[in-house]
Order: sequence, then structure tokens, then C-alpha cells
Amino acid sequence: MTSFWEKAREWSDELCMATHRMGETGLSESGPSTSSHHAPYGVLHGISSPSSSLINQGSSYYFGGLEEAILQGVKIRNEEAKASLFAGKPAATLEMFPSWPMRFQHTQREIQGGSKSGGESTDSGSGLNTISSKTEAQFEPESESPISKKASCTDYQAFDQQQKQRLQQLEQEMASDASRCQTQNQNESAAKPFQAKRKGGGSTSDRQLDPKTMRRLAQNREAARKSRLRKKAYVQQLESSRVKLSQLEQELQRARSQGLLIGCGGTSTANNISSAIFDIEYGRWLEEDQRHMEELRRSLEAAVPDNELRVMVESYLRHYDEVFELKGVAAKSDVFHVMNGMWTTPAERCFFWIAGFRPSDLIGMLVQQLEPVTEQQIVGMYGLRQSTQQAEEALTQGLDQLQHSLLHTVVGGLTVDGVHQMFLAMTKLSDLEDFIRQADNLRQQTLHQLCRLLTVRQAAKCFLVIGEYYGRLRALSSLWASRPRESLINDETCHQIATNMPIVHQSSQNHFSTF
Amino acid sequence: MHYQTAASWGGYVTTVVVGDPMERIERMASENAVVIFSISTCCMCHAIKRLFCGMGVNPTVYELDEDPRGKEMERALMRLLGCSSVLPVVFIGGKLIGTMDRVMACHINGTLVPLLKEAGALWL
Repeated sequence: MTSFWEKAREWSDELCMATHRMGETGLSESGPSTSSHHAPYGVLHGISSPSSSLINQGSSYYFGGLEEAILQGVKIRNEEAKASLFAGKPAATLEMFPSWPMRFQHTQREIQGGSKSGGESTDSGSGLNTISSKTEAQFEPESESPISKKASCTDYQAFDQQQKQRLQQLEQEMASDASRCQTQNQNESAAKPFQAKRKGGGSTSDRQLDPKTMRRLAQNREAARKSRLRKKAYVQQLESSRVKLSQLEQELQRARSQGLLIGCGGTSTANNISSAIFDIEYGRWLEEDQRHMEELRRSLEAAVPDNELRVMVESYLRHYDEVFELKGVAAKSDVFHVMNGMWTTPAERCFFWIAGFRPSDLIGMLVQQLEPVTEQQIVGMYGLRQSTQQAEEALTQGLDQLQHSLLHTVVGGLTVDGVHQMFLAMTKLSDLEDFIRQADNLRQQTLHQLCRLLTVRQAAKCFLVIGEYYGRLRALSSLWASRPRESLINDETCHQIATNMPIVHQSSQNHFSTF
Repeated sequence: MHYQTAASWGGYVTTVVVGDPMERIERMASENAVVIFSISTCCMCHAIKRLFCGMGVNPTVYELDEDPRGKEMERALMRLLGCSSVLPVVFIGGKLIGTMDRVMACHINGTLVPLLKEAGALWL
């Protein structure tokens, strides 16, 4: 029993994480992790993938026992079995709630122990299918059974539907429980074996609930059922879009590696190829960056001697020099590709300054991260920030000038013969490459100066901070890209899910208290 | 006289840097604390001017495209520095600093300001 509980909880944690990865949704908040009682509740009804063995296990435990009880309800004459099913336990209706699977497991064992017929197997291996086929086999002759319609489909949705049907039947039954006698109910429509079983075992003395409570409970259950269905539909949609996303990414990767990716459209093949090559090399650079970071992190934690750390810091510096060189080469062949930053993630691009990071921002960020720092270093850092700011300002103004003159050149050619103007415009565009080169130069100089100003340990820490910052920007980009856009679960439904759960829980507690 | 004849032949014939343009450049460079040789339409030149003005320096700017002998001087500078895109070029206190690259690097590593102060272009 404990193992099942643990598994359910593990599984609900996974679901939480999966939905977190997909982007925050109401699922994770209203979901299983809030209380132990809710864990299997959310889990069993929130997951659409029937391939999960845990569902099978859980439902087989849960439904297996109950199914057996149902199927053998008519046969069970043994008061012991019935008593074990109901006596000293909460109302039978509540045994339908998956939040209390332990009782069913318990029940199942008791039934199996108590009853004579033991033909049905409830192995976890074929939980759903077993149940569905059992249902099919057993209920087919009873034409009125709504369950039999669903029985042919073995997937979880139908299964859930069955459960809903049973719930409803149980509710109806409970409402009129007191008035019916045992035999009368047994002779009722065979399509309602629940009732048969219940009447057979349900002594009215166990029911001490007034009709008002019953109605309220029924309404709660209805609302819970609806929200479960919505949740399930939403999760299914998430799953399918996740699959689609990974497919698209794979296609994109393939296209890029083959250099087939048309960049900004309308450009020549040569540009595309060199841009694609740059993208690939940048990707490799990023991987290498990860390695450097890992190495630095481990070395810092292990407190290796300074000279070893220095070697690492210097190699990291060279690593950065590499990317500036790559950019320079790429800018020669396709300046627009480098300038518009399509080789980075959207979040990084958002904070771009001339095809890369703004050095003064970086210094500003790092100044706060240096822990043991001398006054001289502080002065040096602030001086560095000031000089980078001045340089950035100069380059920005130069770039603005470039834009204005380019505009002027292109506009100037509108009424006049355009060829000469276009030629002028082209020369101005080649100046753009110069600006990218100067900006990268500024970045490179800033990093080198940083290493000169700080101790080796501080420099190592700075590199880690920079790497971490960009890693987070990249993660932000992918989180943003995969956030759920449909309004299937909006605020209202989230609230409903959140409020229904405690209500249901409360009603269960009421039931408990009466027993 | 020989000097001028050589000049009338249109620039460098010999490799000896006694020719007109270079000397002119040196002369112009030593006249002021900060001298920038630039081209009026070049945006990078605009950037470097803004850089010095932003620091509070008042540079002397020679627009070579407006000078009749500007082309020669530009070629001379190209030979001196050994690169094709040579402008803007900065001299501080008569000494050659270099193009935008070098000026940026000097500024970042903190050597530019002392140079400026030494040349008397900055007071603080």
C-alpha cells in the first residue's frame, strides 16, 4: 500500500514538473502536491497518457477491487464480505473517489479473501484493458447499460466516463437509499449492478446523511467531475503541442545543418550558407562555453590553487576572443545576419547593443557580485564602467549618424537616377560592419581589462556570473516560447479546480466523521 | 625646391619619409594636443569625435576630404599604419596613437586619460 502511495506522489511530482516546464498553468497549483489526499485524485484524472503503468496499477487496484465487487455483487450473499466492504468504513460512494485508493486495495483483498468466486484477475499489467474487457463481457448482455457503450474503447477517456457514470448512479442510489428495500433493488434493472451490490450490502443504518448534505455532495461531485474533464483535455492538448514542438525543432535543426535555412528571405545563397555556418559554429561555441563554466565551477568549489585557476581563466578569455572573431568573419559576408541577432535567443536579442552585450551593463552587474574586494578594485571597476559608457555612447552616436546618412542617401535617390545613390548606400552599409567590429573590440577589451583588475578567483567568479546570466536569458526565451497560449485553463477554471478540491475533501471528511 | 618638385609628381616616389605629406602630417599633429585626421562623411570619424568631446577634450580635426592634398596624406597614413581603412587617426601630444581600435583599447585599459592629461588636453 505504501509503495503505491509513494508512486502516486512521485508521479504527481513529475506531472507538476512537466507542467512547470511547459509553462505555469493552474494545474500545478491546484494539483496533487498540495495535500496527500489529493495526490492520486489529481494524478489519476489529470493524466491523459494511458501508457503510464502507474495509472494501470492504480486503477487496477482501485477499480479492480470494485469491479470485482460489482460483478460479484449479485453473487455475494456473504454478509461478511459485504460487511467488510462497508462496515466501519466511509460511505460506499466515497469509495469511488480515487483519493482513497488504499481502501479499495484493502477492500479488494478482503473481497478476494471473503468471496468464493475469484476468477477475475486484477493484475496491474493490463489494468485498463482488463477492466474494460471485463465490463464488456459482463455488461454486454444488459443492453441498457451505458457502460457497455464505452466498454469497446479501451482508452482512459472512456474509462473515466465509466467512472463518472458509476458515480452518478451511486449518487442517485444514495439519495433514495433509505426508502428502498434490499430485494427490491436487487430486482431492479440489471444495468445498475452498483445498486444491486449496494442494496445487498448497504444497510440503511450506515446512512446517517440528510438529503441536503447528499444534494450538496452530489453537486460538488458534479463540479469536480467537470473540472477533471477540463483538466484532462487541457493536459492532452499540452502533450500534443509538446510533441509538435519537438518535431518542429528537429526539422529546424536538420534544415540548418544542411544549410537550407532561408534566413531573412530574398538574400543570396552564399549569404545563407555563411550565416548557417556561423549559426552552427556559434552553437558549438555555446557548448564549449558550458564546458568552461562547468570546469570553473568545479575548480572554484574544489578550491584549486591560483595558478591552475589562472590557466582556466585565460582559456576562458581566449574562448571569448574566439566568438568575437567568428562574428567578425560572419559580419564580412552577412552583416545583417550578425546585426539583427537571429543567431541568439529572443531574450538575449532584446537587450542587444550592436550585435552583442553592452559592456557597461555587464560591469554594473559584476560589480555587485564581487565579494571580497579592495577599494582599489572598486575604483578600477567604476572607472572601467565609466570608460565603457563613454565608448558606447560614441559608437551609438556614430551608428545613428550612419543610419541618418543612409536614409538620406536612399531618399536622395528617389527622384534622381538611383544607381549612384545605391552605390553610396552600399558603401555606407559596409561601414556597419566596422561598427560591429568596433563594438566587439570594445567588449573584448572590457573582458581583458576585467581580468587585469581582479584577482584570479574574482575573475573566475565573474565569468561564471556572466555565463549564468546568459543561460538564464536563454532559458527565459524557451520558457516564454512554450508557455500555454490557449485559454482552456484560464483564471476562472483554475479557481474552480482549486476550490473544488477542498470542497470534495471536506465532504469526505464529513462522511468520515459520521462513522 | 626638390621637395616641391617631388610633390608635383603627385605623391610618393621614394620610400624615404621626408616627402611632403608625412612631414605635413607630423607638423599638423604637433601643433595641438589632440589631433584627429578624419573624413567629414565617415561615421566612425564622427564616433571618435564624439568620444573625445564626451570626455571633455577639444580635439583639432582635419577633414582630409576637404584638403587639396588630403588624398596624399591619407595614403601616407596608410603606409605608416599598414592597413587599408586608416581613418580616423588620432595623435596625442604629437605622438601617433592609432585608429579607432587602438583608441578604444587605450581608453578601456586606462592609458588614454593619463596621456591626455600629459598632453594638456584634460584638466582634472
